[in-house]
Amino acid sequence: MSDHLALIIEDDEDLSEIFGQALTAAGFTIEIIRDGLLAQERLKEIVPTVITLDMHIPHISGDILLTQIRADDRLAKTRVVVTTADAQMGEATRGHADLVLIKPITFSQLRDLTARLKPQS
Amino acid sequence: MIDRLISISTTDPDDARRKKLLNILLLGLGVITFILIVVMIFSILGQSAQEGAYLVVYGGIALLLGMAVIFFLNRILPGRIAATLFLTLITGIMIFSDSAHDVSNGRSLFIFTIPIIMASVLLTPASSFIFGIVSSAIISVLAISIKEEPNSPAIAGYFLVALIAWLSSRNLEQALLELRSINLNLDKVVEEKTKELATTLSRELILAGRNRAILDSIADGVIVFDEFNTAILANPALGKLADVPAQGIINRTITDFIQSDLLSPATRGTLLGMLENPQAAGSGIRIDWGNKTLSTSFAQVRDTEGKGIGTVAVFRDVTHEVELEKMKNTFIGIVSHELRTPLNAILGYAEILKEGVYGSVTEKQKNISERIMANSSRLLHIVSDLLDEVQIEAGKLKIQMVSCNPVDLLDNLRSVMDKITADKGLEFITEIDPSLPPVLMGDPQRLQQIMVNLSNNAVKFTDKGSIRVKLSRLDEQNWQIQTVDTGEGIPEEAKDYIFESFRQVKAAATRQHGGVGLGLSIVKQLVELMKGKITVDSKVGGGSIFTITLPLIMPLEIESITETEKE
Repeated sequence: MSDHLALIIEDDEDLSEIFGQALTAAGFTIEIIRDGLLAQERLKEIVPTVITLDMHIPHISGDILLTQIRADDRLAKTRVVVTTADAQMGEATRGHADLVLIKPITFSQLRDLTARLKPQS
Repeated sequence: MIDRLISISTTDPDDARRKKLLNILLLGLGVITFILIVVMIFSILGQSAQEGAYLVVYGGIALLLGMAVIFFLNRILPGRIAATLFLTLITGIMIFSDSAHDVSNGRSLFIFTIPIIMASVLLTPASSFIFGIVSSAIISVLAISIKEEPNSPAIAGYFLVALIAWLSSRNLEQALLELRSINLNLDKVVEEKTKELATTLSRELILAGRNRAILDSIADGVIVFDEFNTAILANPALGKLADVPAQGIINRTITDFIQSDLLSPATRGTLLGMLENPQAAGSGIRIDWGNKTLSTSFAQVRDTEGKGIGTVAVFRDVTHEVELEKMKNTFIGIVSHELRTPLNAILGYAEILKEGVYGSVTEKQKNISERIMANSSRLLHIVSDLLDEVQIEAGKLKIQMVSCNPVDLLDNLRSVMDKITADKGLEFITEIDPSLPPVLMGDPQRLQQIMVNLSNNAVKFTDKGSIRVKLSRLDEQNWQIQTVDTGEGIPEEAKDYIFESFRQVKAAATRQHGGVGLGLSIVKQLVELMKGKITVDSKVGGGSIFTITLPLIMPLEIESITETEKE
């Protein structure tokens, strides 16, 4: 079991499963949340190494959540990977995210990219 | 009143003239005779009358009566007869107007010249000679009757007077005839011209009416401005589109016309600009007029000599079309977006299976997973193309200018194309000309898309040989992306439409090679968004060369441009 936590914020059941598998393969312990409000609450308790953040999630939009994460000192070391199908939206968040991935995102792509975000210990 | 008294209307203008002249003479002579009678009566009453005063009175009365009879005969008989009677009457009276000696040889000889001259104007010019003969006969007979010699010089004088009267009268008559013929011709010309004018006028009226009816029944709004930008023509459709009665538009200037609350200041500016320079403005410009969308075209009106005399503007209501376009774009956008998510899931699961995440797989199962991935990718490309096409059409696709490295661009291209080309047994060559700067400004994602689309297109139509992608500097201001293949080439007639959406050279190509025919269309639109241009050079059987020319912008330039903008 790895001590690196990856939080997957993604409302689509299948994509969250695929992302989860990719991050597991990359060596992370994963947690999946499908709702913006729940994610907001959960982020007060945990400090993930990586967050994959979908822009279109229920209750709180991804970009608001991204701003909050960036404003939180506790999460200063957390790497955020924005996942979105909207290329324009992706471009808009590029300044705040560590990585922007435009859907479709493949298993191997996410696995290989996030593996690099893991601190070498 | 006098004119009514002396004028007699007849069909023969010569006769009318003769009758009128006779009436004038009768009237004049009548007045003189009347005065003479009155004077004589007063002299008789005043005992100062000379011998023969009674004779003058009776003669005068007889003359008056005679002239009255002739005056009436002149109205019913031909003028010539009345004139002959008149001349006979005065000649007869002259015989008794003095003593036989004075008439034939003395002081009254001259009075016979009067009927001679009158005859030349009242009758025919030659009749002066007849009265010359008659007068000569009268004075000769009178002279013989009182046993005197006929006065030969007087007779010669009469003939001389007759000759002069004949000559002048004949000239006068000829001049009159000429004048009349000129008049007649003139009348004819006037009549013809009047008829012509009436025909033309009625034809013009019919034509104008027809044109007006056509204009009135056109569904598009039409308005014509003169060279001072005042509306001189507008049809009812325009009134409907602009929400004002068509009559209220006429004689108003363009500024008045566009001063409606339904127009934004920007739209007003556009319209004024189009009026200023209709040719440069182009046609089918869309403007918002209240809640309507109108397609507008302006054109200059020129006379037959090519001189500009105004501007005609046509407005078409395209509200419905615009709504449909928006709906289509929204629909395709939603469908594409909704398709991408499940496709992403299929692609992801297939890959997880292949990678053995859910347990080990056989070679065959791995192979099948790869087939699922390849097909999902193809489908995803089509969906992405559709989405791009819609975004470009809707003007939503923006080009991001960031600094990018040509080496990275080609590396990324190779990562996508190496496997595809190798699978088909093709050689894939990429090269960078040393003239190209190591860093340049562009949208890496879109440049990548352009190169992938062109390369994919080349792979589709090349069965053996190679595909070469070359980046180079063209000149000071431009750089180029070239793809050269050894494929089947493009027929000449197809070069016109290969860049159109949903078009492929052969319909069969779609089935054979897949795709919906958007690849090149998107490339062209992206290139145009980047202010570049694309050309194709190809021969059937001789491969194709696609050349994209893009403006070369160095990272430094962008910074300085941004700096300038900030200032």
